[in-house]
Amino acid sequence: MPQLTVDGRLVEFKLGEKVIEVAKRAGVFIPYFCYHPGLSVVAQCRMCAVEIEKMPKLQTACSTLAAEGMVVHTRSEKALQNQKSVMEFLLINHPLDCPICDKSGECDLQDFSYDYGDPYSRYTEERRTYIDVDMGSVIQKNMNRCIHCTRCIRFGEEIAGIREMVALQRGNQTEITTIEGKPLETQYAGNYADICPTGSLGLKDFRFKKRVWMLKKTPTICEGCSRGCNMEIHQDSQVIYRCVPRENLEVNRYWLCDEGRFHFRSYQKDRVLFPYFKGKAVDWSLALESCRNILRGKKLLVLVGSDLTQEEITLVQEVLALDHAGSLLFHFGTPGMSSVSEDGDADGILKRKSKTSNLHGLEHLGIRGWDGLGAQAEALLVVRAGRAQWGKLPSLPSVGLGVFQESEAKQLDVILPGLNFTEKDGSVMNFQGKLQFFRRAIAPQGQSKGLAELFMMLRRDKASEVGVAS
Amino acid sequence: MSSEKSTTLFIEHFQPECRFLHYYLKEMEGYQGLKKAFGMSPSEVIEEVKSSQLRGRGGAGFPTGMKWGFIPKQSSVPKYLVCNADESEPGTFKDRDLMRYTPHLLLEGMLIGAYAIGARSGYIYIRGEYAREAVLLQEAIEEAYAARYLGSNIQGSGFDFELTVHRGAGAYICGEETALLNSLEGKRGEPRVKPPFPAQAGAFGGPTIVNNVETLACVPFILRRGGPWFAQLGKLEKSGGTRLFCLSGHVKKPGLYELPAAGVTLRELIYTYGGGILNDRKLKAVIPGGSSAPVLTAEEIDVVLDVEPLMKIGSMLGSAGVVVVSEDYCVVKLIQRIAKFYAHESCGQCTPCREGCRWMEEVLERIEHGKGRTQDLNLLLQIADNIQGKTLCALGDAAAGPVASFVKKFQSDFEAHIRGGKCPN
Repeated sequence: MPQLTVDGRLVEFKLGEKVIEVAKRAGVFIPYFCYHPGLSVVAQCRMCAVEIEKMPKLQTACSTLAAEGMVVHTRSEKALQNQKSVMEFLLINHPLDCPICDKSGECDLQDFSYDYGDPYSRYTEERRTYIDVDMGSVIQKNMNRCIHCTRCIRFGEEIAGIREMVALQRGNQTEITTIEGKPLETQYAGNYADICPTGSLGLKDFRFKKRVWMLKKTPTICEGCSRGCNMEIHQDSQVIYRCVPRENLEVNRYWLCDEGRFHFRSYQKDRVLFPYFKGKAVDWSLALESCRNILRGKKLLVLVGSDLTQEEITLVQEVLALDHAGSLLFHFGTPGMSSVSEDGDADGILKRKSKTSNLHGLEHLGIRGWDGLGAQAEALLVVRAGRAQWGKLPSLPSVGLGVFQESEAKQLDVILPGLNFTEKDGSVMNFQGKLQFFRRAIAPQGQSKGLAELFMMLRRDKASEVGVAS
Repeated sequence: MSSEKSTTLFIEHFQPECRFLHYYLKEMEGYQGLKKAFGMSPSEVIEEVKSSQLRGRGGAGFPTGMKWGFIPKQSSVPKYLVCNADESEPGTFKDRDLMRYTPHLLLEGMLIGAYAIGARSGYIYIRGEYAREAVLLQEAIEEAYAARYLGSNIQGSGFDFELTVHRGAGAYICGEETALLNSLEGKRGEPRVKPPFPAQAGAFGGPTIVNNVETLACVPFILRRGGPWFAQLGKLEKSGGTRLFCLSGHVKKPGLYELPAAGVTLRELIYTYGGGILNDRKLKAVIPGGSSAPVLTAEEIDVVLDVEPLMKIGSMLGSAGVVVVSEDYCVVKLIQRIAKFYAHESCGQCTPCREGCRWMEEVLERIEHGKGRTQDLNLLLQIADNIQGKTLCALGDAAAGPVASFVKKFQSDFEAHIRGGKCPN
């Protein structure tokens, strides 16, 4: 393999790799703004310019192809001076409003200013200002903070497949905005905020909600569809503030759709957080007794949401084998979709037709889709994690375990509140057959309990029958 | 400098009637160079141009034959020849007359170039302000189509070439070849990252040569009379042919002068050809190659007007647009105006140019209006230094070089502004 030298370190590279990538692998970080591994290279910000022996001018590491025997100096006097000067140029018209900016704390401009910039400004002229347009429901714009890296423009064109962000005017007056000031249309708008290296494009949903350094981050898997995008839950004091994508080049690369990003919000209102009986909150003993009356000794129709984890499904199967032999077990999740053969690409970007995360896992365990019929059963048990949707439930005495909305509560006789994906550990299998694990980010809300605990409580009287201490 | 008449190629044909095909065929050996080219192989044509020592007349002075040689012989996508008629460098007005009076010379040059590189279609990207010239070019193209000098099977040679005039919308940056190609493709006129160079992937992704109008207009003569003949017209080894010098500013006889390449000094151009400074005032400064060339003082004008000699003293020949400034004019005001131009014309893509050009303009404006501070001169030099050689395209250099040169060479004028709190002129 060919080799080059970065700051004295010999490193191998593959033909076609750029200096910035090779350096990163060698453990040498070269600062950049406009470069993004998932987007085309434009070499506009000039921050990554490095000195390469035998080349008279500084070369941008993002656009320069690695070559055999190349000797790169990322911290030479010339390179450092350039970084300092680029920082100065970028900041002369920046409002320096970090104290009220949501990006503060995770801002490339802010971080690199500390690392590579000069603490003093020599600029005494009037700063450039813009009037912001409304960008729709997802993104809050602040053009004064923009450093014209054009990542957003390239994201729209190259990833989201929509040309909606553009550069207007030119030179010092260049404004990055939407065509004709229209609101954003893409269903991937949240990524604009992720890739913006400053606080110019931020999430409206997150605006002024939390300083980012307060947030605790937990790796998770989005439960929005069968792709299983890798993401992170950011919470503080058991309150989730946002979800952001986590890089996984095989699944979602660097991106996340808005539906998945904001899905956690659906659990923050109107969720059944207490035991319910006939649509009303009741105490546990009444709810449990009602459940036992409905389920005990009956042949059941069991509907499991394809949003449950592999671990939960296995548990359900075991309990049925113990207590309800001969019951019928089916999965549900996306109305109109009864098997993985109907799943497919939904928009050519990330979204899949199956609107739950574990359809493929359930079928892998041998569970088939529910055809919507009541079958020959005496009672109905519905288990789900909150995302799976049903069409119409058969009119049987029914029990629901898991996460339900207030509006759904009347459709089930008894509900025992369970956990959603942010409150538990587990694994789900995506459409590629990839088993992905996620961790619990926050404690169970209200009186919600894990499925194992709910089953334990239901089976307590049975447990005493076989001699286990109750 | 002797006043003997040297060979000229263009200037005697800069008359209104010369633009027509019949004149071109009758009086200018029209399309004879093309005929000769058709009798040669494309690589022989390129060799002929190489031997002529023709170098690009747009500003960079790159050897034309060598540039053509970069085009791959085989290409799975169409190749293009593009004529850069954007002539946007302030102080330059040679291409306009070439298009106005001798459009067929350009057409023939393009045909030969297209034949040499294997392009079947070409574009003339003309600046938007040249509305009249665009019409004249179009008329010449229609004449050429009618006479089968354009279109399919040109003059029975089996060679096809389609030529289109594309008007720009008035941006200096679209004279930069990759910005020009973007604009031609209907995109925002901003330079592309290089590599890939246009010869690898240019217009619409195809291998592309972009040549200046004057460069292409030289090509027919090279084919007709041979590369060595053209080469000997120039007075330095690397520079063949004649050059059109655009003399403007405070001289008695401004205008276009066609002189042997590297054949005159700046002093001769100003005093012998240009008749000296207006009102017999003293010379203050000269910009030798369009407004992006670093300025020269009155003591530096004994330099031969060519690429290498000017580069040696820290300036450049550029587009050979010579702007003469007399002692009556304020050099601070001049550079402030130049800086304003470049700040206005910066495309805004890359950081140093977008932010730095405007910053220099603002500081210069303050100084010119008497609000300068002593540290401003150092600041200007540092901003210029932070732009030069660090931008995506040459516009940053074009803006920063002149500012640095004015500040260094006319420091006392700047200090007088700062000390006096106003412009002394």
